[in-house]
Amino acid sequence: MASTSEVKKGIVIRGPNDLFVVVEFQHVNPGKGAAFVRTRMKSLSTGKVVEVTYKTSESVDIVQVDFRTMQFLYKDGDNLAFMNMENYEQIEMNSDLVGDEAKYLKEGLDVVVGLYEGRPVNVQIPKKIKYKVVDAPPAVRGDSATGNVTKEITLDNGLRVQAPIFIKEGEEVLINTETGEYSARA
Amino acid sequence: MSTWSDLKNNHRLKNIYDTRINILRLIREFFWSLNFVETDTPIAIKNPGQEPYLNPVPVIFYDPVGKAENFYLHTSPELAMKKLLAAGYEKIFQIVKCFRNYESFGGNHNTEFTMIEWYRSPGKYQDIMDDTENLFKFVGEKLNKKTVRCNDKEINISGKWERQSMKEIWQKFINVNLDDYLDISSLKKLAEDKGYKVDKADAYEDIFFKIFLNEIEPHLGNETPIFVYDYPAQMTSLSRLCENDPRYAERFELYIGGLELANAFGELTDAKEQKDRLENDKKLRGELGKPTWPVDPDFIGALESGMAPAGGIALGVDRMVLLFTGAKDLNEVIFNSVSDQLSN
Repeated sequence: MASTSEVKKGIVIRGPNDLFVVVEFQHVNPGKGAAFVRTRMKSLSTGKVVEVTYKTSESVDIVQVDFRTMQFLYKDGDNLAFMNMENYEQIEMNSDLVGDEAKYLKEGLDVVVGLYEGRPVNVQIPKKIKYKVVDAPPAVRGDSATGNVTKEITLDNGLRVQAPIFIKEGEEVLINTETGEYSARA
Repeated sequence: MSTWSDLKNNHRLKNIYDTRINILRLIREFFWSLNFVETDTPIAIKNPGQEPYLNPVPVIFYDPVGKAENFYLHTSPELAMKKLLAAGYEKIFQIVKCFRNYESFGGNHNTEFTMIEWYRSPGKYQDIMDDTENLFKFVGEKLNKKTVRCNDKEINISGKWERQSMKEIWQKFINVNLDDYLDISSLKKLAEDKGYKVDKADAYEDIFFKIFLNEIEPHLGNETPIFVYDYPAQMTSLSRLCENDPRYAERFELYIGGLELANAFGELTDAKEQKDRLENDKKLRGELGKPTWPVDPDFIGALESGMAPAGGIALGVDRMVLLFTGAKDLNEVIFNSVSDQLSN
């Protein structure tokens, strides 16, 4: 058993009948009261998300997950393929387990994959990722006068984001994967 | 995150910060227009409040010869503002930075955060509910917003807000009569029957919140804001007991979209009872292994001098900005938050 202070995104908790991967957690202190940890967890067998709130002094059953740096290779239907760069073993996982963040993956990106008994259970992607801009419509005279200070650009993995109008095709930009927004020129 | 480069490059974050500045101005306009006085009290204090679960940030002041004096950054300006009520001020407000240690750097928390507190003396906690509702509606009107956003939910603030007692919402959401669970042994049994782990050291409040946070709070204020009032008496040390039912105390909290925004009291003005309760809290702090300091004798002295019945509230300004801007977390509404400073 472990303390709730070890609860963080990506760890796996043993619940009554199932294993759950923590997708989000948040400390709450109701009305100047004791500290609690509110977690959102995804069932590893059904994919269903549940919300459970623990008192911070409670103990939770955290199961051992191995975290390995792997490189994203490609997407094949619903499956995502990664390569363990230590032994060049290839693994596949269902994109449902990665969720919305799968859209940030691009070939050759290093991510951290959590393995439980050899089975991938989650993927942690970097906070900021560098992409090449493959399409950026030219800024039109009067854009900033009409309040259009951003435009939609397309990145080298197909992702589209809003960026400042001065960004041009061929440039490299950093995207913040927590907000899904343009962060800066790379 | 909200750093200078985010504000320069990200239109959405710049809008959030602009709205924050605007909201601060509107809060002041609202209270001044109601003839409240904006007060000014110290942030570093010698004897902070005794809330067992709050952790003030310690600071050391040195005099010219290097003699050290221990102070703490306040967790709220409550005690100082009540002293001003004792001094004769009747309607006061203050927008102020507060600090609470051992809380998350992000999500719905930041160690340093902005609070608006206001008091009415004479005043009742129902008057404070009216003020709160009117404040949000005033700000909403000026920002041209009838709804706010939280946790992917759109909440209408322009209609009538809900007001329900804690007893009513336990009945409504978990079909339990709270009157039957006002002592620790019956509440403990209820929690265990529901499958919660109850530790021997858990206080009444801890068990109460295990049930409340898991089964009730996520449903609160999802369509309109809700005031939840009259808490079990053992859960509050600065509020007075309800006249018609002393098993409950005059305390309310405001929830919007499942987020807790404010905590308010019908203020306890009986000096002796207040001193007893604060001494009890101090004892509990000691038992929890936390640093202790004397119960502020100047605060007890202020109450002894006589204070009209008063109502007061502390409302988190950063969370208010979060709701009006639909920001993702507090780091997006606070410029150079703790987390921003640590990662730069």
